[in-house]
Amino acid sequence: MTWSSKFMAAAAALTLTLGTAGFGAAADVVKIGNIEPLSGPSAAVGIQGQKAREMAVEEINAAGGIKSLGGAKLELLYADSKGDPTTGVTEAERMINSEKVHLLTGCWNSAVTYPTTQVAERYGVPFIVPVSVRDTITERGFKNVFRIAAKDSWWTRDQFQFLKDMQQEFGAEVKKVAFVYENGDWGTGFAEGWRKLAKAAGYEVVLDEPYPSTASDLTPVVIKLKRAKPDVVFMTSNAADAILLTNTMAEMKVNVKAIITSGGGHADPSFIAAAGKNAEYLFDIVEWETDLNRPGLKEVNAKFNAKNGQNLNGESVDAYAAMYLIKDVLERAGSLEPGKIREALASTKLCGGDVGLLAYDCIEFDESGQNQNASLVVVQLRQNGETMDRITVWPKNVRRDGYTPVFPQPAK
Amino acid sequence: MLGFIESLLNGILMGSIYGLTAVGLTLIFGVMKVINFAHGSILMVGMYAAYWVVTKTGMNPYLALLVVVPFLFCFGYLLQRFVIKPIFDAEKDVREPITVIIVTTGIWYVLDNLALILFGAEYRVAKTSVTGKMFEFMEMYFLVPKLIGAGITLLCGVYLYWFLKHSRTGKAIRATSLDREAATLMGIKQSQIYNIAFGLGAACCGVAACVLIPFYYVYPTVGVPFDIKAFVIVVLGGLGSIPGAILGGIIIGIIETVGAQFMAATWTELLIYAVFLVVLFVKPSGLFGLRQDF
Repeated sequence: MTWSSKFMAAAAALTLTLGTAGFGAAADVVKIGNIEPLSGPSAAVGIQGQKAREMAVEEINAAGGIKSLGGAKLELLYADSKGDPTTGVTEAERMINSEKVHLLTGCWNSAVTYPTTQVAERYGVPFIVPVSVRDTITERGFKNVFRIAAKDSWWTRDQFQFLKDMQQEFGAEVKKVAFVYENGDWGTGFAEGWRKLAKAAGYEVVLDEPYPSTASDLTPVVIKLKRAKPDVVFMTSNAADAILLTNTMAEMKVNVKAIITSGGGHADPSFIAAAGKNAEYLFDIVEWETDLNRPGLKEVNAKFNAKNGQNLNGESVDAYAAMYLIKDVLERAGSLEPGKIREALASTKLCGGDVGLLAYDCIEFDESGQNQNASLVVVQLRQNGETMDRITVWPKNVRRDGYTPVFPQPAK
Repeated sequence: MLGFIESLLNGILMGSIYGLTAVGLTLIFGVMKVINFAHGSILMVGMYAAYWVVTKTGMNPYLALLVVVPFLFCFGYLLQRFVIKPIFDAEKDVREPITVIIVTTGIWYVLDNLALILFGAEYRVAKTSVTGKMFEFMEMYFLVPKLIGAGITLLCGVYLYWFLKHSRTGKAIRATSLDREAATLMGIKQSQIYNIAFGLGAACCGVAACVLIPFYYVYPTVGVPFDIKAFVIVVLGGLGSIPGAILGGIIIGIIETVGAQFMAATWTELLIYAVFLVVLFVKPSGLFGLRQDF
């Protein structure tokens, strides 16, 4: 750093701390407010999102920042939502009013994203939702909310389609299904979808059980599940309860043909580490998987793993892609004016390149702000030596070469 | 019917472990008249200690009790001596020392966040020799570590009860809890008794941690759900009563497990709080509590 650039940096910092309206024309930084669960029950996934964002922003800044804004650097600001809606809303207000952020991202927990995006909409601040699946987040006619991930009606739709395809492929009979889900917005939203789809498909629902994510003991739920004798269990869980349920189910020898889970806790790396062999044969629906044959995926994942000792997952990939989406949008907007950013967001067609590691080709938003290309894949967990492997099995055209899914799963 | 018995027995097993954490809380309250909001965090510290001991040395988790419990006792002892005592001393002349309660809340936040920084948010499960072992009886399944845990809990409760009734230190603790001033006049060093009581309360968490570790996971805020239950249990069983805490724990365990067989699991949490409120209305002193003069 030369003397003059040091002086410039100091001057810029001074301008910022004094809070004068000194930046507007020539901005030095683009402030991105990130509201994530950095503590509380979903902290694990929030922190992964944080790490992915940081890696992407480091890359973008190292490559010269936003060129159309004179090389402006991206700056990440974090707020811990603790997974709590009220905290999320307060933090959004703070981010917008005190920190004067140009964009907001978050909040992972649908229950937090839903009211928080409302705040952003009121202030006209563009809000990018990497992951939060509740349908209504983009179905309220908001102008400033854009979601990268698929919404939950797509998830449940694909879960049932998957089950149907599996039955056909393996000639197995499925009559009775059970729903076990965390009682937040996310779980109850999924359950609503399942109920409709089960009715349409003619399955008998033998158990429909919400449970509190913070429960210290889930044995009661497992006892109920065992007595209900379902063929297939659909599950929506955060990491802690996913571990508890999976282990207790294996210990109590609950035998079912298949367990179909909904990403989230079941896709969390700490889930596999903690549940170990008990998690084998489980089917998990996710937006992304490390074994997908996508350009650049291996390199980015290797880099992330070297940095953080963990593989990327659906959440972190969406968070990573969100930063490149922001870069693309700002390049095209060429301004930090919210209206311009919003316009650029709405006309996004970001394909391949830096977001090429997503499971689909392009990010493109429909009228409601939903990424219309977002798609899902189903993986099966299999023990492979010491590690538990997540093997893509559905849709059939992306199934890992040479792998035959195990359906129904063997008895415990 | 089998489902009912299975859930009843499972409720008793889990409930007795809840009871053990509540014993620690009730002991600290009984002696110091301090509601220890950091209790769950102390349990968390114990669980991390048990986790590391078990995974690093491959030690049997129940043998680990010999390491973890003294460690937690010292941890509690020093916490009281160096963090809580100064506040107590500063508030000596205040009739209702509220700052101490706030300090325990502070300790809670500090410990939880320290754990988050040091160990990350991952969920850790210790693979021990009893992990996943089931005891099968007429198509009913009971987790072996839960059975052992419940046994250890009862032993601990009995021992602690005996210790307070018959040992010299125990008598001094009881004397202090009955009347601080009189006990001091009799030559009992009050602050020393507080240190020991807090240490014992933490040691109870240490025991609970060791019996939980074979079937439960550890993460920075693992204490919170246990903490909340411990408060309900202590009120239910009677503030300061050890048998009350264990029985209260078993009752909560039964409500939680059996209740879930008749309603959605979400509602059992509500039911627990309903019981809590009813006890407060009908018998504020709890099942075994004495009418206390605060």
